[in-house]
Amino acid sequence: MAEEPTPTWEDVARRYGRKIYNFAYRLTGNPHDAADLVQEVLLRVRKGLGSYTPGSFEGWLWRITRNAFLDDVRMRRRRPVSPLPDGDRVAFGASPSPDEVLAGVRLSDDIQQVLLKIPYEFRECVVLCDVVGLTYDEIAMAIDSPVGTVRSRIHRGRKLLRNLLTWPI
Amino acid sequence: MANLSGSDLTHARGINELLSAYLDGELQGDELERVVEHIDDCAKCIHEFHQLKEARTALRLMPMLEAPEWLLAKVGHLDSELSAYLDAELTTAEVPMVIDHLRECARCRDELHLVDTARTAVRSMPRAEPPGLLHVIRAGRTKRKHSRWMVVAASAGVAAAVVLTLGFVSSTSQFDPVDLVSFSDRHIARASVESGFSIFPAFAPGAVLP
Repeated sequence: MAEEPTPTWEDVARRYGRKIYNFAYRLTGNPHDAADLVQEVLLRVRKGLGSYTPGSFEGWLWRITRNAFLDDVRMRRRRPVSPLPDGDRVAFGASPSPDEVLAGVRLSDDIQQVLLKIPYEFRECVVLCDVVGLTYDEIAMAIDSPVGTVRSRIHRGRKLLRNLLTWPI
Repeated sequence: MANLSGSDLTHARGINELLSAYLDGELQGDELERVVEHIDDCAKCIHEFHQLKEARTALRLMPMLEAPEWLLAKVGHLDSELSAYLDAELTTAEVPMVIDHLRECARCRDELHLVDTARTAVRSMPRAEPPGLLHVIRAGRTKRKHSRWMVVAASAGVAAAVVLTLGFVSSTSQFDPVDLVSFSDRHIARASVESGFSIFPAFAPGAVLP
């Protein structure tokens, strides 16, 4: 894999802050936990950048993110996930119609609720693939597992998700 | 290729497990060929493929959420490191990083000054004796007799607590309402005459950075 230059901490925060937030939000369904995770990850990145060896930055970053998330989960001892507050704050384009906004929020809420019913190891891989947009290799690096495991988890995660969704897509 | 027993055998060999990777364009070589050859003739796999595609579509339809504004506003700036810096609790690797950032970031220098002022104010407060000493003495009297020196020592403690409390009340009344800048000025004045009582020198407003 080609080496990439090491970004500054500010670059990381600006480029990945929103993605990390989405990763955490989709895994937990909780905006407060997601915001906490972003702060924790950026803190760890800042501390770790000094010792970072140029390579796959995305793999390194998402491994930190995933470990921070798991540490947080362990600390909270898997406290119950609270329901979504008022639907997602959706990043729509210019002037969506009210119907579009409503439909988007409902759709997103349904999928979010189903996501939370999937076992963590599958949910994690599915979110990294379909929400964050990582390749299988990057996911394998992030979760410190073989690519074959990633494949299997994404596959099983999607199958579970599809079976739990009750409406036609 | 795909009679019933052959299809079952192929599924058993894991073609089914490859369908998500095929959907994501993550297959190459032999695995890709195996799936391509198999899938057109296998209704079970075609159905499975469509199911997976629907699930993926649903996931990707979810919008990217905006992170909270307050979170983004903090991006690129120091936070808990500022207090750790003032308290000399940063690691060796963190110190130059924080100093470099402070050199270039007026906002963080202002924040540092605020934190330092608050820290100074808290540290300027006089020490107070813990309450409840009187209760301990009374309880002791009813339970058993103490030696004379213990009673004398306890009484002296109570007297000292009363004096300190009165002193604190009278002194705080002079600075009511509490003015953090005033605390800071007193702190700086104390530091100027008392060796070892240091203030943070480098990043006061207008100060020259190292």
